[in-house]
Amino acid sequence: MFFDSDLLMSALRALTPILLAALGGAICERAGVFNIGLEGMMLMGCFTAVATSWFTGSPWLGVLAAALAAAAYSLILAVGTVTLRGDAVVLGVAMNLLAVGLTSFLLRTVFGVQGTFDDPSLAGLPLIGGLSPLAYVSWAAVAVAALMLSRHVWGLRLRGVGEAPDAAATLGVSPTKYKYAAVLVSGVLCGLAGAQLALGNVTLFTENMTAGRGWIAVVAVMLGRALPLGVLLAALLFGLAEAAGFRLQGLGLPQQATDAAPYVVTLGALFLTTARRRRRVRPSSTGAAS
Amino acid sequence: MNNRILGALRSPITFSVLAGVLIGALFLVGTGADPIASYEAVLTGSLGADGIGSTLTTGTSVLGMALALAIPLRAGLINLGGDGQMVLGGITAAVTGLYSPLPAPLTVVLALLAGMAAGAAYAALAALCENHFGVPLLVSSLLLSYPAVSLASYLARYPLKEPGSSLPQTRSLPDGVALPAFGDSTVTWGLVLVVLAAAAYWFTDQRTAIGYEIRMTGLNSRFAAYAGVERRGLTLKLMSVSGATAGLVGAIGVLSFPYRFVDGSLTAPGYTWTGLTAALLATAAPLGTVVASFFFAVLQVGGLAMERTTEVPRELTQVLQAIVIVFLAARLRFPSRWFNRRKEAV
Amino acid sequence: MTPPRADAPDVAVELRGITKRFPGTVANDAVDLTVRRGEIHALMGENGAGKSTLMSILYGMTRADAGSVLVDGREADFASPGDAMAAGLGMVHQSFKLFDSLSVAENVVLAAEPRRFGLVDRAAARRRVRELAEEHGLAVDPDARVGELPVGLRQRVEILKLLHRGARTLILDEPTAVLTPAEADALFAVLKSLAAQGRTVILVTHKLREVLEGSDRVTVLRDGRVVARLVTAETSADEIAAAMTGRAVELDRIHAPGTPGDVVLAVSGLTTDGVSEASLTVRAGEIVGIAGVAGNGQSELIEALAGLRPTTAGRVTLLQQDISHASATERRLKGLAYVPEDRHAVGTAPAASVAENLAMGHHRTTLSSRGLLPPAGVRAHARQLIERFGIKAPTPEVPASALSGGNLQKLLIGRELAHEVPLLLVEQPTRGVDIGAIQNIHDQLIAYRDAGHAVLLVSAELSEIRGLADRVLVMYEGRITASYDKNQADERTLGLAMAGGASREAVTVEAVD
Repeated sequence: MFFDSDLLMSALRALTPILLAALGGAICERAGVFNIGLEGMMLMGCFTAVATSWFTGSPWLGVLAAALAAAAYSLILAVGTVTLRGDAVVLGVAMNLLAVGLTSFLLRTVFGVQGTFDDPSLAGLPLIGGLSPLAYVSWAAVAVAALMLSRHVWGLRLRGVGEAPDAAATLGVSPTKYKYAAVLVSGVLCGLAGAQLALGNVTLFTENMTAGRGWIAVVAVMLGRALPLGVLLAALLFGLAEAAGFRLQGLGLPQQATDAAPYVVTLGALFLTTARRRRRVRPSSTGAAS
Repeated sequence: MNNRILGALRSPITFSVLAGVLIGALFLVGTGADPIASYEAVLTGSLGADGIGSTLTTGTSVLGMALALAIPLRAGLINLGGDGQMVLGGITAAVTGLYSPLPAPLTVVLALLAGMAAGAAYAALAALCENHFGVPLLVSSLLLSYPAVSLASYLARYPLKEPGSSLPQTRSLPDGVALPAFGDSTVTWGLVLVVLAAAAYWFTDQRTAIGYEIRMTGLNSRFAAYAGVERRGLTLKLMSVSGATAGLVGAIGVLSFPYRFVDGSLTAPGYTWTGLTAALLATAAPLGTVVASFFFAVLQVGGLAMERTTEVPRELTQVLQAIVIVFLAARLRFPSRWFNRRKEAV
Repeated sequence: MTPPRADAPDVAVELRGITKRFPGTVANDAVDLTVRRGEIHALMGENGAGKSTLMSILYGMTRADAGSVLVDGREADFASPGDAMAAGLGMVHQSFKLFDSLSVAENVVLAAEPRRFGLVDRAAARRRVRELAEEHGLAVDPDARVGELPVGLRQRVEILKLLHRGARTLILDEPTAVLTPAEADALFAVLKSLAAQGRTVILVTHKLREVLEGSDRVTVLRDGRVVARLVTAETSADEIAAAMTGRAVELDRIHAPGTPGDVVLAVSGLTTDGVSEASLTVRAGEIVGIAGVAGNGQSELIEALAGLRPTTAGRVTLLQQDISHASATERRLKGLAYVPEDRHAVGTAPAASVAENLAMGHHRTTLSSRGLLPPAGVRAHARQLIERFGIKAPTPEVPASALSGGNLQKLLIGRELAHEVPLLLVEQPTRGVDIGAIQNIHDQLIAYRDAGHAVLLVSAELSEIRGLADRVLVMYEGRITASYDKNQADERTLGLAMAGGASREAVTVEAVD
């Protein structure tokens, strides 16, 4: 049996960081902020989680610190695109690059190593029922997000801000406040995602350990049309693809094929959904002025 | 003339670069290093007699990738698949080099062309995803990049692997199948090719009708479309040229020392992302892209030199680069008050 | 509903000595405005007279440089629209501030939601909408998605929003710009009933007919100052118009007709999204105007003719050549030029220089040879056009965004006219343009026609259509429902046709071969 409970567990393990980050991306999208800096925010979370856990001995403090650090990092996007009206795409890409450089720099200056920090006494997160506690947090977050967005007063106002900020402003709802809030929430969620990556499945920090998951989260937001449940399904698709890939590796397929599998699968899913839906194109201009 | 200099000084680019340098200095102080000595090491290490060769070699790849990204960026299109296109270009050049029956100089030309064609075709694929499937270019180009790198990696480690070696690399290219170098340095004719590409870009951008259409599309795509500029055709053409340029960089890399395709060697230095930041810093303008690429090559090579002499981690230059772009993206600039001596529109 | 306080003063809103300056201009110059409770008060003036600025000060969107605002007799200092709303004011903007993907009920209650444990009480919201709708004659389905509603109903949602918040004074900015005459009548019925309940209505508009029929008093602004305070029943259209423009205005100037020649454009059975079976012809030396309330398919028709919108059926010929499936580029090459209605988003690239903007369309024809585009040629071309069309730009190198609205429009029209092609499509040529430039643009269009070209004109301004067109077509719900010669096209007939009341007899269209 190819599709058995082991595969599912493997998929769920891969799912958590992507789901958390994608949820953050979705909330930003609903608020009208195009956040592709998820990768960078996650990576900051990874490093902060490992560093804090190392120095305090507590993985839980690591999780907390990761959430706070990533939220602080997300302010770059908030200030840059909401207050200063800069280009969100360029800002997001820049934040991803900065995070890689910054975490590698800190890896060397704080831990004195290059490449990977991997100490056996680094405290990781305990498993509950075979899964990290953050996995359960992520599912709860989906439920909370779905409820808040569709039924809560704040959710309604956030959706209004995302759809028509001018209209919201004339009603006394501050687009700035809601956009900042959305970005900070995404920062917290990405911080948790990073903590999960660095203290959950494994307990170490490697340079650039997010390895494109933040980008997959961006795609998951598109696939899931920025709905919490949609994003869950999209992230699950990726998780299954990755888990299936590992399984196929065990059956003799070269590692490179399984590395590529999730991306191919995601791309295929995008074809199917966007081809049917036609016009869901994001403005691709970055204002390249002469 | 005065106005233009003031205008350049006031531009967000100046502010961002200054901000980056300052914040970099803060980091240096924070780690207990001397900022002046460190920056001095960066400059002497990259521009001095010992370092200039490295800088130009690095600059070849950085400028090449910067052009690859700037060309579509000028029309507002983002190609994030540079790694994949470059790597495919490299492996194709390697295969061509290894199996071509032609004499060496012709093989070199053929390998370069083959690399360009491979990169062009793969980038065109991303363009087709956007044109016919509605998948945003940003996403399709990025998602396609990973499988391409994986494919090249697989080829280098299995079918094309050098027999008897444990390293993930192809056989060495036959004698003579290499880009001629300048003297003893690592700088090859690849630099000339890339500079020619930059010149071609400048000319097209500033002096041709299609360059005009590209610029207008970048400034207001609806305007260009209304006036009859076919966006789909333009996207396909620009992405093909972009991919070809990235493929050229890959081919140049393979046809230079160590004259083989080594899995990961093309992507490890991060030329694609450095090139992207250079293109962004220059807002894809041709001359600006050349200057910015050189600037970032100086930082990258100088960073290594800085690390050797001051023990400051070379990643600092990466941080500096990214900070410059962050500030640029936030469009910060010196307040006009600081420059207002006469009331003129600058 | 919050009835006005029994002891409230007679004056609902008073503005005293309001002055507001922007760089280079005085938008409001010591303006005094008094609006009595329970009246419908019209604030009139041309574009740029200062009406919008004054209202944005009243509504807390901007701060005045001098003067004071009194609401219900008390001095008010609004820092935001929220403050103004709390004081009982409510504004319906010219472009609606609605959330298309949300329901009517959600739009009405957003930011003033009925709650249950922090969640929105949807049932209560629906109930509230139904109650208000019934009470004020503004029937609308609370669960309908606003994005799918026609314009008239969307406006109702805007008004319901204000009533939900207990607005006692409603400000409506150009409310009938997008309504048919019949819908406008329905709106005024609602406004009159609101006034009868003791609410106050301020109408910001430049439409004489509605002011004369629907308002109690009129205040006229010109160049930022109050130039007339009139009682509607005691004044006339001429008096108001003269006050608005400062001179005896030739209302609805009608230009001399052209001399039509051969058929240039022939369309038969054109069908696309929003247009069904449109057929028309335009001859050389004539202007054909398409009248109709915005949103009845005019934009879609023009876009289809320009090659920017795919069609599902129909045949289009230009100078007897079939262009039904030609691309936008091909159509331009075969002799088509197009002035779109949105000059900022479509017609120009504001960040590019004036010269670069003027080159578009010419860059592959007159300005280039073998694909090359010499910058000197672009500059010379720009200088030529700047002089010919009187575009006020300091140099051709400044960005187009530095130009005023009227000058940008001159740039756009000048560029397209300079193509000197047989067919010109033009939409809303004088929208947002001051009156001096309007005359100039109209003269240019007439001159283009008289030079032997064909012009197809779409405009929401009936006076513009009636003044320029040799023949007038009316579009309603995607169909061309009526065709009139210049002398048949009076306002009443056109208005009736625009509202769907055109005669059932088939419109005679020239046979297309």
